[in-house]
Amino acid sequence: MLISQKAPVASDGESSLCIDSLSFAYNGTAVLQDINLVIREGEFISLLGPSGSGKTTLLRLLAGMELPASGCITCRGRIVDRPGIDRGMVFQDYSLFPWMNLAENVILAVAKANPQMVKKQRRDLAEAYLDLVGLQDVQLKYPFELSGGMQQRGAIARVLALGSPFLLMDEPFGALDPVNRMKLQDLLIRVWSDASPPKTIVFVTHDVDEALYLGDRVLILGSAPGRIIAEIPVGISQPRSRQTFFGEAAFKGLRDRILDYFHRDAIEKMEFADRIKSSGEGI
Amino acid sequence: MTKSDLIGEGVQVGSNQKVKTLQQAEHKKADNWSKIFYGKEGILFIAILIALWQAVAELSSRQFQFLFPTLPVVAEALWDSLPELLKGTYSSFLILAPGYLIAVASGVVVGIVTATTGWINRAFMPFARVAAPVPPTIYIPYAIALMASFRTASIFVVFIGAFWPIFLNTAAGAAAVPGRYRDDARILSLSKFEYLWKIVFPASLPHSFSGMAVGLALSFIMLTVAELFGANEGLGKFVQYYADYADYPRMVAGIFYTGLITFLSMALLEGIKKRVLFWVR
Repeated sequence: MLISQKAPVASDGESSLCIDSLSFAYNGTAVLQDINLVIREGEFISLLGPSGSGKTTLLRLLAGMELPASGCITCRGRIVDRPGIDRGMVFQDYSLFPWMNLAENVILAVAKANPQMVKKQRRDLAEAYLDLVGLQDVQLKYPFELSGGMQQRGAIARVLALGSPFLLMDEPFGALDPVNRMKLQDLLIRVWSDASPPKTIVFVTHDVDEALYLGDRVLILGSAPGRIIAEIPVGISQPRSRQTFFGEAAFKGLRDRILDYFHRDAIEKMEFADRIKSSGEGI
Repeated sequence: MTKSDLIGEGVQVGSNQKVKTLQQAEHKKADNWSKIFYGKEGILFIAILIALWQAVAELSSRQFQFLFPTLPVVAEALWDSLPELLKGTYSSFLILAPGYLIAVASGVVVGIVTATTGWINRAFMPFARVAAPVPPTIYIPYAIALMASFRTASIFVVFIGAFWPIFLNTAAGAAAVPGRYRDDARILSLSKFEYLWKIVFPASLPHSFSGMAVGLALSFIMLTVAELFGANEGLGKFVQYYADYADYPRMVAGIFYTGLITFLSMALLEGIKKRVLFWVR
């Protein structure tokens, strides 16, 4: 097969992405507080949380696009202080460059991952990645000629072409209709299971079903400030079958547990807000 | 059956394109130079203007007609002076084209670099804000005095006129590159040069083209004013010359002709813009 990843950089295997007592503030407001997390090589992590819980911020910190206020992030032992092609990222808004066609968009990443390749090889490799996500027939189309689902496939092809062992995905399917969302979830799982060497994925979502269906482990972030309030191993073997997964008792149990965490977090916030309000009313 | 049909998105793409062509049609209708007369009213208005002109010229006294020639007289003058006008057009474009093209190239490059490089921005922008609003025609006498030939002086003033709007618009566009493109470029680890050339340049092109349109209009103003000052030939000179000799039919013909050339140049630029910015919706 045309797509073969380079051998992984020497790693300590187990703990490839480490977050150590990390905090982040924006304009004096704490966004993330005391996050500790160890992500193993080849793991699929779902990051679940309500809006405002700092999911995206945490992902941007992992990407090296923001720097922590305190604490640190290491990736295979090296401190993360800037973006690098070892950590690819996919955003929610389909962010292919509109002035380039699909192939050109993917070639941009291919060229970064394989600077030694000549033009023809880059083109062929880009085609192989587009083939992988089912876009080989539209590779000369421009983003504005494609549906949202196809654009997001293109974005996935591009990030795969970057060859990153770590993929950070920020609600990548959030803007898709349910049918396309399912197709892309299954595509992502297929790519992830087939990848060799294995890929590590951190997947941000606010959809409980999606988090459970995809993840090996689901991390739940509470809001204001964002912190990890629960860590739930899914414990159902991958790859999972969509037909049976959502009917399993284990799935239903986990789902109730997660919703319970959400409610508790929300109720705590509400009482806090009420307290402030009532003290004001007395004046 | 294509593979995308198998994936199940074929239908969606189809309907998407349909919506798009409708939108594009609307867009074209309102915004296409080749179709200026998108309503009967436009033609009617011009017809009334012509009729009014003709009526006033016919009715005015003989003495006044000398200043206000009837349309057939102007048409005849236009036909008679066409060789001279074409020669003048050539001469004018030898000034306009280099001045304008240098302004486009430097305005875009300097605009992008200024907007994206902190220290250059801090050094150049204050000066630009002071210098850009100065009416460029004010430089003409000095440029003619300084430069070796009238041609280089005129090229210089055309450049000055066109540079500022192109520079300012490009810089504004480059400063306003959407954050997601910047994020993507960082994730792809693009080098600074790749980022400027492959991302910032195309992303700010819509702004650059707005600047180029303003710049082109200003170029024509600078050109004709410079020619009024001291050219031996050219469109501005043509009008000036026949005004001096009180040959008003030819002068009016020269005004019409210059208007037409300006309009066609703007239409050409608009056509290029449509082609280059095909991805803008």
